[in-house]
Amino acid sequence: MTSNRTMTTTQATHHDQTLSRQEDYKLVTGQGHYTADVHYPGMLHAFVIRSMYAHARITRMDLSAVAAAPGVHRVITAEDVAAFGANALPNALAVKDIHGEPQKVVRMPVLAREKVHFVGQPIAMVIADSADLAQDAAELTDIEFEVLPAAADIDTALAQELPLHEGVAHNLSARFQAGDEAATDQAFQNAVHTSQLKVVSQRLIGMPMEPRAVVVAPAKGAEKIKIHTPTQGMLGMVGNIAATTGLKPDQFEVLTDDVGGSFGLRGAAYSEHVLLVLAATQLNKPVRWVGSRSEVFMSDWHGRALTLNGEVALDAQGKILGMRFKDQVDLGAFNCYMSTFIGTRNISITMGGVYKVPALYMQSDLVFTNTVPVSAYRGAGRPDIAYAVERLIDHAAHEHGFDPIELRRQNFIPPAEFPYTTANGTLYDLCECERLMDRALELSNYYSFESRKQMSESLGKLRGIGLATYLEASGAGTAPKDQVIGEFSAAGVLTVYGVTGASGQGHQTSFTQIIEKHLGLEPQSIQYRAGDPSHIMVGNGTGGSRTLYGAGSAIKNLCDQVVGKLKTLVESLWTCSADQVDFKHGVFELRITQGADSNPKFITTQDLIQQLSPEQRQQLNAVGEAQSGTTFPNGCHVAEVEIDPRTGVTEVVNYTAVDDLGNLISPQLVLGQVHGGVVQGWGQAFTEQVVYDANGQLLTGSLMDYALPRLGQLPQIHHETMTVSTELNLLGAKGVGEAGCTGSLPSLANAMMSALRPFGIQAMDMPFTSAKVWAALVQRT
Amino acid sequence: MNISLHINGQVRAAETDDRTLLVNLLRDHLGLTGTHVGCDTSQCGCCTVLLDGQAVKSCTMLAAQAQGSQITTIEGLAPASTGALHPVQAAFSKCHALQCGFCTPGMVMATVSLLEKHPHPTDAQITEGLSGNLCRCTGYLNIAQAVKEAAAQLAS
Repeated sequence: MTSNRTMTTTQATHHDQTLSRQEDYKLVTGQGHYTADVHYPGMLHAFVIRSMYAHARITRMDLSAVAAAPGVHRVITAEDVAAFGANALPNALAVKDIHGEPQKVVRMPVLAREKVHFVGQPIAMVIADSADLAQDAAELTDIEFEVLPAAADIDTALAQELPLHEGVAHNLSARFQAGDEAATDQAFQNAVHTSQLKVVSQRLIGMPMEPRAVVVAPAKGAEKIKIHTPTQGMLGMVGNIAATTGLKPDQFEVLTDDVGGSFGLRGAAYSEHVLLVLAATQLNKPVRWVGSRSEVFMSDWHGRALTLNGEVALDAQGKILGMRFKDQVDLGAFNCYMSTFIGTRNISITMGGVYKVPALYMQSDLVFTNTVPVSAYRGAGRPDIAYAVERLIDHAAHEHGFDPIELRRQNFIPPAEFPYTTANGTLYDLCECERLMDRALELSNYYSFESRKQMSESLGKLRGIGLATYLEASGAGTAPKDQVIGEFSAAGVLTVYGVTGASGQGHQTSFTQIIEKHLGLEPQSIQYRAGDPSHIMVGNGTGGSRTLYGAGSAIKNLCDQVVGKLKTLVESLWTCSADQVDFKHGVFELRITQGADSNPKFITTQDLIQQLSPEQRQQLNAVGEAQSGTTFPNGCHVAEVEIDPRTGVTEVVNYTAVDDLGNLISPQLVLGQVHGGVVQGWGQAFTEQVVYDANGQLLTGSLMDYALPRLGQLPQIHHETMTVSTELNLLGAKGVGEAGCTGSLPSLANAMMSALRPFGIQAMDMPFTSAKVWAALVQRT
Repeated sequence: MNISLHINGQVRAAETDDRTLLVNLLRDHLGLTGTHVGCDTSQCGCCTVLLDGQAVKSCTMLAAQAQGSQITTIEGLAPASTGALHPVQAAFSKCHALQCGFCTPGMVMATVSLLEKHPHPTDAQITEGLSGNLCRCTGYLNIAQAVKEAAAQLAS
C-alpha cells in the first residue's frame, strides 16, 4: 500500500508551477470528467443491435421479445428514425468525377432498414433501466437475413456484378483526377529512367483510449436539450447534430469536458448521437450510451485504407521530370464525413513532396466496400501520400543506381524558388529541406552506418537505414476564420472562449503561454473554455494540426486588442501621448522624452489590471480573430532497424527526427506530439492492420488481435527542431500533430527495405510484422 | 448481493448484481469515476487499481471477488484534501507523460505497483511492468521517463 510514501506537496490548483500542464492536476488525480462519467439521476441506458453480416437483406425482423424484456423502455428501429425526421449521417465533401459528373454519394442511414452493408452497422437500439438489461434484451433479437455476396476489398468491389448500392455500377463512387495528364505523359515520354511502386497504406483504427460515448438529457422548461459527447470542437458537432436530427441549433447544446483522445474520429455525428436525442426527447428521460471497445472496432470510422500506385520519370542525371499516381480509395460501405476529402484533395495537394516536379497528375478511384466507413485518422491522407512519394524516390534511386540522398538533394525545391507553386497548384511558402536533411544525416550518424551494419551482421542480424524528407499541408480549416471571445471578470481573470476543444493536446496550457507572452497576464489569471454554448462564434474545431496557429492566432489578435485598450488607459493615467508608451514583455513603459519628466515609469499588465475598477476591467473584453490557412510543416526523419532473420523480429535501434514546425509556443508539448505521432507511425509500420475475411467478417475485432504499440517498442527518438518561421499566421507556427507520423511511416519503411533489399526483396507493404518479414526472408535464403 | 470493502481507507458497502464487475462497482455504485473502462478484453489497463497492494485490472474480476479487500483507486493515492500528489502522479505531469489523460489513472496505479516490486527498475522491468497498459497519445517515451523520475523521487 502507499500510505508510507512521501508525498510531494503541491497546491491543488491548475496553475501549479511544478505541473507541466494546467490540465494535469485533475487528470493525474482521477478528477477528469469524460462523457462516460456524466451521471443524471434516473437516466436510462442504451445498447445498439448491430449487423453480424457484411452484406445482407433483412427479410424479417421481430423485436417484440426485446421490447417485452425486463427493464426495457423502448426499442428504436429505422421506422422510428424516419418518423422522427432524422437524416442520414454527414458527408463532408462531394466532388466531380473525371468526366465532370457529380460523385455518386450514398450517405449512411442512422439505422439500417432493408439492407445491411457492413458488420457492425446499427440496426436498432434498445433503451433500458441499465446497460446490462439493455444488452440482455438485445440477445432476444430475431432477425432473418438473406446473405448477399460481400466485397471486402477494392478489387472484389470493382469486379462485383451486384453493387452495394443501387445505381452505383462497380461500386465506384467517383474516379477523380488532379494535375495535368498530357504534360505528365509527355514527361514520361521524355524520361531516361522511370520507376513504379505501388504501396498500400493499410486500413487502421484510430483507437482513442476513451471509447465513443453520448449522454443526452431532454429539455426541461426553458433549458435546451443537453448532449454530452467527446468532440473536436463544439461547432462541428452542433452542425452535424442539427443536420442529422432536424433539430434547430438553438434547441440543444453540446457539452464536452475531457476527451480521451480523438485522432480525427470525434469530428462528426454518428448514429448513436441521433438515436439518443430521439430516445431522450421521446421518453423525456436522460439516456446514456457508452460504446465498448468491440464497438470501436466495428463502428468508429476506420482510417487510411489507401492504395497508392506511383510512378516517377527521371532524366539521365536523375532530375525528376514528372510524377503520377493511380490510387484506390476504400470508402467503406458509405460516404462518411471525410473520406472523399482524403481520397481526392489530401492525397493530391502535396503529391510532389518536397521536390521540384515539373509535371504532376493523379487519378483516384473512390470505391464502396462492405466494410466500416472510412474517415479521418491522424493526417487523413497526408501521411499516406508522403509515404508513397518517399518510398517511390528510394525505390527509384535503388532501381537506377542513384544514391538516395543525392537523388533527393538534386531534386529539392531550391530555397530561392519559394514561394513555390507545385505543378498542380499548391503554394508552399518556404521550406529548407536540404538544411534539415543535412542536420538529420549528421545527428543520425548516417555516414557511419556501414560499420554498425557490419557489427549487426557479426551477430547474425540484418541492419537497414532509411530516410524520408517529408512535407505535409496542415489543415486549412472549414470556417472562414477563427474567433475567440475574451472576457475579464470583475476580479481581473481573463476567460477566453473558443470553438476548438482539446483531446489531449493541452490547449489551455498553450493558449495561456500565448497570452502570457503577448499580454503579460499571469497564468492564474487565464482560463480557456472550449465550446461554451452561451458564447457563439465562428471557428474551426481541432483537426489537421491547426488549432495552435488557428485559434492561437486569434488569441494573439485578442491580446493585441487588449494591449491597445490598456495603452489608452495608461496614457490617461500618466497623462502622456500614445507614442510615448511602449509595451514589451508584459510591461508598459513611459519612454523618456526631452524636456519631460525624466523619471521612467513602468507598470506590468498584471498590476495595471489590478488597479482598474471592475467596470474598467470588463471594458477590456474583446473578440479576437484571425484567418489562418494551411501551413507546411516539414522535416527529415532517419530510422535505423535491426532484424533478427531467425524470427523476423525487428528493433528500431536509432530514430532521428529533425522537424521544421515553425515557431514553437510550448516546446514540451510539441515534443509530446512528435513522440505520439512517430509512435503511431511505428504502429502502422510494424503491427497495426484491420483484417477482414472474404465474407467481410472483421477478424481484428479486439485489442487481442489488433496490435497497438506498447511501451518499449520505440525506446528513443533523437529530436531536433529547426525553425523556419512562416508568415501564414500571426504566430509564425506550423502544425505539429500529424508531422510525426508523416515522417515516421516512410523512414521506417525505407529502413526495412534497406535491410531486406540485399535479399532480393524489392517491395513489401506495411505492417512489417515479424511473420511477414521472416516468411519473406525464408523464401529467399 | 451486498458487498463490503475497504476503498481508499474507508469501509464502503454496496448492493450489486452477482455479475457486476469490480470496475462497475467502483464507477457506477461508488462514484469513483477516475478508474476508466477502455476495453472489454483486459488489454488496455485503464481500469487498473491496487487490490491488497497488487495492481489488478478491475474489469477482470467480479465485485464479489473483492469482498473484504483493501482497494486503492487513483482517487485514494494521495489525499485530495491537501492537494498533495503522490510522487508517481507528480512525475507523470513533470515528464509530460500524459496527454488526453484517459489511460493515466491506470498507468499511475500500475507504476505504483511496479515501483513497489522494483524500486530501481531497469528498462526491461519498466517495459514488462507496463506492458498491460495502453496509451495512444504519448508514444510512451515520456511514460518510461516518468517511471524513472518517480523511482528517483521515492528513493530520495
